[in-house]
Amino acid sequence: MKGKRIRSLGLMLSCIVAAFSIGGCGDSKNDGKVEVEIVQYKPEAANYFTMVEEAFNASHDNIHLTIHSPNDAMAILKTRFIREDYPDIIGIGGDINYSYFVDAEILADISGYTGLSNIKQAYLDIGESLELVPTDGTYAAPYMANAAGVLYNREMFAEHGWEIPKTWDELMELCEEIQSEGILPFYFGFKDTWTCLAPWNSMAVDLSPADTAKQVNRGETTFTKEYREVSEKYIKLLDYGPDDPFAFAYNDACTAFARGESAMYPIGSYAAPQILSVNPDLDIDSFVMPANDSADGNTLNSGIDLQFCVTAECENPEAAYEVLDFLYKDENIQQYIDAQNAIPCKEGDFTLSPILDGMHEYIESGNMTDYQDHYYPSEMAVDAQLQTFLIEKDVDAFLSKFDKDWQRYNRDIIRLVQEYETSGAQ
Amino acid sequence: MKNERKRTFLLITIPILALFVCFNTIPLIRGVIYSFTNFKGFGSYDWVGLRNYMDLFTDVRVGKSYLFTFKLAIVTTIVVNVISLILAMALNSKIRAKSFFRGAYFLPNVLGALVVGYIFNYLFTYIIPAFMDMIGLEAFSSSILSNQNTAWIAIVVVCAWQSIAMNTIIYISGLQTVPEDVYEAGGLDGATGWKKFRYLTFPLIIPFFGINMVLSVKNFLMVFDQIMALTKGGPAQSTESISYLIYNNGMSGGQFGFQSANAVVFFIVIVLVSVTQMKISSGKEEQL
Amino acid sequence: MIKKKSNWPVMAFLICGLMTIAFPLYMTIVIALKQPTEMTNSIQGILSLPKSWSLANFREAMRVTDFWHSLGNSLLITVVTVVLSIVVHSLLGYAVGRNKAKSKFYSFVYLFVVSGMFVPFAILMMPLAKQTAELGLGNWFGVVLLYVVFYMPMNVLLYSGYLVNIPIALEEAARVDGASTWTTYWKIIFPVMKPMHATVAILTALAVWNDVMTPLVIMAGSNQNTLPLAQLNFQSQFGTNYNLAFASYLLALIPILLFYIVCQKQILNGVVNGAVK
Repeated sequence: MKGKRIRSLGLMLSCIVAAFSIGGCGDSKNDGKVEVEIVQYKPEAANYFTMVEEAFNASHDNIHLTIHSPNDAMAILKTRFIREDYPDIIGIGGDINYSYFVDAEILADISGYTGLSNIKQAYLDIGESLELVPTDGTYAAPYMANAAGVLYNREMFAEHGWEIPKTWDELMELCEEIQSEGILPFYFGFKDTWTCLAPWNSMAVDLSPADTAKQVNRGETTFTKEYREVSEKYIKLLDYGPDDPFAFAYNDACTAFARGESAMYPIGSYAAPQILSVNPDLDIDSFVMPANDSADGNTLNSGIDLQFCVTAECENPEAAYEVLDFLYKDENIQQYIDAQNAIPCKEGDFTLSPILDGMHEYIESGNMTDYQDHYYPSEMAVDAQLQTFLIEKDVDAFLSKFDKDWQRYNRDIIRLVQEYETSGAQ
Repeated sequence: MKNERKRTFLLITIPILALFVCFNTIPLIRGVIYSFTNFKGFGSYDWVGLRNYMDLFTDVRVGKSYLFTFKLAIVTTIVVNVISLILAMALNSKIRAKSFFRGAYFLPNVLGALVVGYIFNYLFTYIIPAFMDMIGLEAFSSSILSNQNTAWIAIVVVCAWQSIAMNTIIYISGLQTVPEDVYEAGGLDGATGWKKFRYLTFPLIIPFFGINMVLSVKNFLMVFDQIMALTKGGPAQSTESISYLIYNNGMSGGQFGFQSANAVVFFIVIVLVSVTQMKISSGKEEQL
Repeated sequence: MIKKKSNWPVMAFLICGLMTIAFPLYMTIVIALKQPTEMTNSIQGILSLPKSWSLANFREAMRVTDFWHSLGNSLLITVVTVVLSIVVHSLLGYAVGRNKAKSKFYSFVYLFVVSGMFVPFAILMMPLAKQTAELGLGNWFGVVLLYVVFYMPMNVLLYSGYLVNIPIALEEAARVDGASTWTTYWKIIFPVMKPMHATVAILTALAVWNDVMTPLVIMAGSNQNTLPLAQLNFQSQFGTNYNLAFASYLLALIPILLFYIVCQKQILNGVVNGAVK
């Protein structure tokens, strides 16, 4: 009697399991079309990608495109990789995750893709240099870039007749002047550690070699040497910010800047939508962070914000290229730029957001340098180390810890680089 | 008869245990295997032997996270259990609008981390400093979240605020098992207040006190959500909990192998702590 | 029955405590009703009532999260998990709780299962993602199965703790009448544990309802959203729409709150008292 019941319960449970495990695989709606799936990591651009998906499917009979724009896409991508369930195309940033993916041979060589010839060389070069060790082939098609520098309140600047600074000294004078008029020069949101990286990156490109991290990996220099000036100058900025910058988060800083509580905000162009959501009438412009003592030494801090990579497992690269062609259509790129204040990686005559006015000449001339933090492993938490440094203000301690931790967190990469160097020398 | 009983218990235990082994023990063993590699979470990896474990014991950041986590867990467990026990007794006594109060006190547990994070950030950053300013305590007029010596207090407050509800529910269900006649008997002996609690109520709910202690210590040792919502490990890396490191560096970062080793050690540590706790509380049970 | 004296001190205490909940809740509601342009960093600004009373945020939040669909998924996962948990965990809690004092095997099973509670999820995540995919369980049912395993330690701890207070004499009476252990369990022990079922139900439901990680990892790419997954749409690194997010959190709070109110009545109606007498 009871044995029967237990057995029937067991049977029932296994039936349920079976029923649902079968139900899980039923989503192949293949009607002769080639399926192309994209997972891209910028959820803020989800609306744009839904639009692209619909437009593409409406105009193509042979290919069916699906684009996912999940939040926390990196976690999703990594778990899908471990399940060996690869999307055809992934849209990720040009940062160290990309370097790891190339190293892990997850991505396909797309040097055969004709669309690459329309992409600005500066961005293709950035993509190449992100490879841990030089690897034959091209693994990414850069799509959009962003830029970091200083956002400023254009109306406030015009009202007081303030000039855009071109050198470090001019910036310091400007800050003094703004402060003397009783206005706060900068706002910071250093409670969110990642915002500590924004001024850091945009100053470091002016003062340190673009490939500092790679030079260190090859054992040619140290961060203590290359980052001293940046660190010393960074502390000076604090004098012109709020009293306790570590109390405010990114969101607080955006709101404060939007409400006119400060004249400038050293952050990337990506902050504009959040700022404008609080105050849609604010007139924002930006300028390149003038950290160098000479105007010629300054360069725009710009890196690849979104690039498309075809995975090695993609069965039909031709179909993937056709999707990329569609994404690279001028009118689609223009739509993306308008919605996200982004900078296109494609050559062509696009209308940039007025927020980027002050950076225009740098973009035009290609005077751009990638973010230093795209080479930092995230687990080293350079952002948190910077926050600690800004609280303690101890340059020597910060730099020596930086060098020490770098060796520890990059052990495997350094070994890889040095193996490559010695094998190359032989 | 005896055999029938034994067999039924085994028939119940074995399949459930199998399910547990399949989705807990086996993945755990796989995780332990990763802890001997330099796996990044994807791609190929090399065996590194005990390197991860050696690193673990020399890593200052990991050491700091253990200190912080234990400090937080101990303080929060005490705070939470004292308050929830008082609250449970209040909510279990004969009062008006009992359902309303019980519902209301449950609310903090349901609010998502984003809401809790935003509101408490606002409270600590703007409202409390302004309030302190107003009443003239200027020493306290800066945000406790921006100071590395005080940020942990904010996390204690939010953890307590959120988890008191759950502990209270467990205490209430424990108080339900205390039969009325115990009190009646106690009333005849003239036991009141503290004495009544100490000698009548408390001994009867010791199993629930034990459960709550174990659950609280475990929950607060594994604290993660509140850290993400409030400080993300800052300021100056002063509030990095062990789970925060394991998740952030292992999953989001490329340190999966190393953080697996961290997780293995952490698992052993919590098991030891909890087994000790259970031994103590079951010892108490027998003693009374 | 002893007539209680005035409970005013208790009431006063409870009402004071309520302030710590009412204030954050007030902020949540006010923010959920405001527009992004009304957000400021000043205290009067944030505490003031919204300029216009409109449920537009709620409508928009429902649209963005595909509310009914996500709610359906969340409800399905939560309900199935809770039902399975009550059945499976109470059985194991019973087997273990009744035997662990005398039997080495059951005391081992108890410690083995309970120690599962302390396994950091991060270490299980990757292997589980792989394993569920291999078993064809990368869907909502896989998530449910994992929950049943994840909450087994805590619930077994709770059930076996509760059993200590249920006298074995209750079962013996039934056994004398010739009922099997299995029948005795369902007829006598299971109903007696009703307050604990309610406690387990509410704790499990709450944990499941708010969980993001498990569905994120296990159902990744399946196009099915639970409410917390859908709510992730409101935050990204460079911008968070708090107004919509708060509206959506308030909406998500209602079902679980109702469930709690139902359950806590059950916790109240302790059956044990009556049964023991």
